[in-house]
Amino acid sequence: MADRIIRHSDLMKLVDEVARKRRIIGPVARSVPECEPPVRYFYEDVERADQLDLSFRYCVYSPKRFLTPPSETLFAFDQDDGGFVAAPQYDRRPTALVGVHPCDIHAIRLYDRVFDLEHRDEHYFARRGATMIIGMDCPGPCTDGVFCKDMGANVAEAGFDAMLYPLGTDTDGDEMRYAVMFGTKAGREWLLYSRQSAAPNADDERAFEKYQADKEAAFSFALRTRREDLAELLGRSYDSLLWDATARRCYSCGSCNLSCPTCYCFDITDETDLASGSGRRWREWDGCHLPEFALVAGDHNFRPKAASRLRHRIYRKAVWIQERSGVVGCVGCARCDRACTAKINSVEIYNQLAEEA
Amino acid sequence: MTTVDSSEREARADLYVPMSAQVVDVQQMTDLEVLLRAAFDGGRPLDHCPGQFVQVSVLGVGECPISVCSSPTRPDYFELCVRRVGEVTAHIHRLEKGSVIGIRGPLGRGFDVAELHGKDILIVAGGLGIAPARSLIQYVLDERQQFGAFHLLYGVRSPAELLYRDDLTLWRESPDVNFHVTVDRPDEQWRGRSGVVTTLFRELPQLDPTETMVAIIGPPLMFKFAVLEVLARRIPQNSIYCSLERRMKCGVGICGHCQVNNVYACLDGPVFKYGQLKALREALE
Ligand SMILES: Cc1cc2nc3c(=O)[nH]c(=O)nc-3n(C[C@H](O)[C@H](O)[C@H](O)COP(=O)(O)OP(=O)(O)OC[C@H]3O[C@@H](n4cnc5c(N)ncnc54)[C@H](O)[C@@H]3O)c2cc1C
Ligand code: SF4
Ligand code: SF4
Ligand code: FES
Repeated sequence: MADRIIRHSDLMKLVDEVARKRRIIGPVARSVPECEPPVRYFYEDVERADQLDLSFRYCVYSPKRFLTPPSETLFAFDQDDGGFVAAPQYDRRPTALVGVHPCDIHAIRLYDRVFDLEHRDEHYFARRGATMIIGMDCPGPCTDGVFCKDMGANVAEAGFDAMLYPLGTDTDGDEMRYAVMFGTKAGREWLLYSRQSAAPNADDERAFEKYQADKEAAFSFALRTRREDLAELLGRSYDSLLWDATARRCYSCGSCNLSCPTCYCFDITDETDLASGSGRRWREWDGCHLPEFALVAGDHNFRPKAASRLRHRIYRKAVWIQERSGVVGCVGCARCDRACTAKINSVEIYNQLAEEA
Repeated sequence: MTTVDSSEREARADLYVPMSAQVVDVQQMTDLEVLLRAAFDGGRPLDHCPGQFVQVSVLGVGECPISVCSSPTRPDYFELCVRRVGEVTAHIHRLEKGSVIGIRGPLGRGFDVAELHGKDILIVAGGLGIAPARSLIQYVLDERQQFGAFHLLYGVRSPAELLYRDDLTLWRESPDVNFHVTVDRPDEQWRGRSGVVTTLFRELPQLDPTETMVAIIGPPLMFKFAVLEVLARRIPQNSIYCSLERRMKCGVGICGHCQVNNVYACLDGPVFKYGQLKALREALE
């Protein structure tokens, strides 16, 4: 049962309402002439709802950079002879992420866990606590190669303030209508605050049921192994020749890490003004495929080969993150596969391992 | 009563902000290693366990993980032995008495001292491994009545690399510890034993496999040979501790750098039991 029904134009008004209090991040179309079709979507800051294009299929990158940016100051410091004073920096700008797909919602739920597992990272939660999430469900696979259904991430039941389900265009016009589910009190208040949405009638309910059934039929499995069995599959694949054979192509560029909505590893660096002694310590995204990720002083590298780094990433995504956090470490968005210059493909990796076994 | 303003409270609660500590003594032990004694303002103890580490900050340069090499039974200060190998450690070597450093920690998991109580203890240390080992050595000596027999074996490559020379004299003369030291490559002045640390196992009496706990701390190669000696004496895998070194940044299990298969050296370690490490393919490679 849907909570509300809303038309596209009314949704836009509601988003503009939010924009008065929060910065709005959502899908924006950008022309990329060298691509076919020559348009790609990116999550970007916008001022007004009409700059968003909610008809997008997928965004090249997930919205992770708005929750844990590529680089961020952890604290600023001042020094004198007597010591130092450090002031942690938190970004609490009220923000709304609009049009977040189920896979990326699952990835955010993963961050919510891993940034608060044994120790709580306030830098993440400062942003997260100030962020409202308005999801956009996917009626079918957004593009070829995704395996979100395999990872249980093509449907999101929580992790959003409100979720939109595009039911299709109106019978009497060409305007998109969405079913809406509330995820939180804030989402409910946002929708009920004005009169833009309506309670679903019997026709709406039928339309929503049909939507769900069509969606169920539209997604299929891509992996030969069920998600629950990936741990067992990888458990016997550690010494497979596949790692070497596949990683031979790897450029160790880290594009897979960069584009992955569930990657969150980081490096920490200091920066200082020599004259005043003041400066900052900041973190930036790091990636386990980069050769220096496990390098220590004295030039010893704990993961010297691309094969060991590829294996590490796949184990982390498919098994280890879940073992520690209880949340699946890969959402099957296939961004790593699309980003990889060497066309290394995770679905192929899983399926070849399954064949070997 | 001192009042704490909100920004100071935030800084204390933040995972990444170091506390300030003062260097109260500096001792150059060798060309490469310096021993710092540090204390928090107001004399607050570090409250660590033997085997734990801290992240040491030189603000503006960076941070690096260093084992606490003194025992919590000496709570007025804590000591760090730092080998100069790169940028941060080079800056640590320039610190003087009175300098201020940043400290995060204690971090990670050290030795389970409750489990060690009542047991015979064997510590095997190689090279810089004597630094983390020393926190446990001092602990055993300070709480001597809590433990049975205490054997300590220490090996370095050459006499010039011997650390904690004052302690070595003390341990040699103490009736509380059966201490042996060896160097791989002796020089003219060296009157002691020579050979790799595993040759010192000959000095040990019969060990009781069910009553002995062992800590082996040193470079991977030394660990491999020492562990064979210990296993040959029928000591169970889970009675053997070792300490892992990995690249570390956050020190709190988030940044991913120190991961060894599915464990984090900074959080689940750096001290592990051998039985646990054997199951981790990346640990002893
Ligand atoms: C748990 C633990 C305990 C340690 N205890 C001691 C000790 O008691 N005494 C001592 O001298 N050394 C110790 N080390 C090693 C020490 O941390 C490194 O030598 C030091 O980080 C090198 O930093 P650098 O900036 O001088 O070198 P650079 O090569 O300039 O390294 C840059 C940064 O990379 C990281 N890094 C590089 N090498 C290592 C490494 N081996 N381990 C972890 N991070 C590294 C650090 O963040 C470092 O600041 C310990 C390491 C670990 C993991
Ligand atoms: S590993 Fe690949 S498929 Fe999985 S979440 Fe990351 S980018 Fe998406
Ligand atoms: S994107 Fe492809 S080539 Fe680049 S590091 Fe990842 S797997 Fe290797
Ligand atoms: S040092 Fe960051 S996870 Fe261990």
